[in-house]
Amino acid sequence: MAKKLSIFIAISLVLSLCDAFNLDNPSSRRILVLLDDFAIKSSHSLFFNSLQSRGFDLDFKLADDPKNALQRYGQYLYDGLILFSPSVQRFGGSIDAAAILDFIDSGHDLILAADTSASDLIREIATECGVDYDEDQSSMVIDHTSYAVSETEGDHTLIAADDFIKSEVILGSKKIEAPVLFQGIGHSLNPANSLVLKVLSASPAAYSANPNSKLAQPPSLTGSSISLVSVLQARNNARVMISGSLSMFSNRFFRSSAQKAGSSTKHQKSGNEQFFTELSKWIFHERGHLKAVNVRHHKSGEVEEPGMYRINDDLEYSVEIFEWSGTSWEPYVANDVQVQFYMMSPYVLKTLSTDGKGLYSTAFKVPDVYGVFQFKVEYQRLGYTTLSLSKQIPVRPFRHNEYERFITAAFPYYGASFSM
Amino acid sequence: MARTTTKDAQDLFHSLRSAYASTPTNLKIIDLYVMFAVFTALIQVAYMAIVGSFPFNSFLSGVLSCIGTAVLAVCLRIQVNKENKEFKDLPPERAFADFVLCNLVLHLVIMNFLG
Repeated sequence: MAKKLSIFIAISLVLSLCDAFNLDNPSSRRILVLLDDFAIKSSHSLFFNSLQSRGFDLDFKLADDPKNALQRYGQYLYDGLILFSPSVQRFGGSIDAAAILDFIDSGHDLILAADTSASDLIREIATECGVDYDEDQSSMVIDHTSYAVSETEGDHTLIAADDFIKSEVILGSKKIEAPVLFQGIGHSLNPANSLVLKVLSASPAAYSANPNSKLAQPPSLTGSSISLVSVLQARNNARVMISGSLSMFSNRFFRSSAQKAGSSTKHQKSGNEQFFTELSKWIFHERGHLKAVNVRHHKSGEVEEPGMYRINDDLEYSVEIFEWSGTSWEPYVANDVQVQFYMMSPYVLKTLSTDGKGLYSTAFKVPDVYGVFQFKVEYQRLGYTTLSLSKQIPVRPFRHNEYERFITAAFPYYGASFSM
Repeated sequence: MARTTTKDAQDLFHSLRSAYASTPTNLKIIDLYVMFAVFTALIQVAYMAIVGSFPFNSFLSGVLSCIGTAVLAVCLRIQVNKENKEFKDLPPERAFADFVLCNLVLHLVIMNFLG
């Protein structure tokens, strides 16, 4: 009897864990937050509350807690990870750099914040994501022209940045008026890497150096190539945010007023809260996540999909694209989705027209070449997940009884044989 | 030397012409038919060279009908020629009937292959 009960409990536990990864809902739900100490939980409570109010389950743990685990028995326990532990040397439990990279490789999202005390482990994780922090351990980003004005004359390490990436998908449709306060280390991106983006970059007058000592040589990171906050959208559509400052997320910065040096407008509230609320929406797939379903093609006039087309046929192609709005799938509206009829190179390239409800369709004529073609839709836009659809279809030449009955080019031969 | 060669060619040509004038009329008609068939075949080859060989089966059947019927006409001429000792006992009507029958079979094949 006890055995049957334990079997029943085990089965229901496994079933409840399976239910956690719901394919229909791409937003993360359970997030593990690793902290250096629990004081961060209260000093950054505005940011965490904004996440919780959107329906996320946050699980706060110390970074070196020996009971930490991202997955158990092969199943991931969390859908997202926030690393607010810049000085951790070794994670506790079964988490390490490789486990975190596997977590990203399996499609889950990550928010990473470093600080001036960033350990080698955090730097290693960032480098694997394509972001290189300044190698000097004690350097911070200093800007003598865009620092935040405060009562005390500081060392200009608290900077007010407003050089945002121009993308409504990533940062929301409402423009961020106030500058964002930043105090921490800067990082640079490899220009050859096409997957990382600079969301907040430093002004051209910024540089990265140790504020407490004289500069011995020119700084290695200068100007707009310093990125303060970057994002990576991996090829499997996992999204990673990497920031150089943990205090950017704190309540103090969220609530403080911001005035950029050299400008006369003093904003009552800095742009940090709006910036991170919108950016975390993008990171956790509440915006900019597309799915393409129902790829259909058929001959004009027919309804069912043939197994093969003939050259010079008229065909119609349609696909439905939806965008996740955080709660439901909304139709995606754009005018630049294109389909290619491809065999080694596109023979036909047409822009799909939409009916406003997410259905994209077009009609074209099969080219006069036979072979095995593919209907390819390759859609890569800044801030959106990549859509890569391809459907193979063969195209055959005319059968011998599909030619016209009397070929005009052959009339001389007809005449010659009749005259004999 | 050159003069002798051209004079020889001219003499040859003249002797051929005078010998040919003495052939019977029906043989001359057959010869004319053969030349017409070969000429038609040449026209078709020239047309294919210009336009391209798109319905290649039509080209082949057109040229084959011309060459085939030319060959059959040559056979008829051989059989009908009275100076030919080999076919002394063959009535010319029989030879002509053979010619017509073979042409029919040839053109049956040609019609099917013409496309």
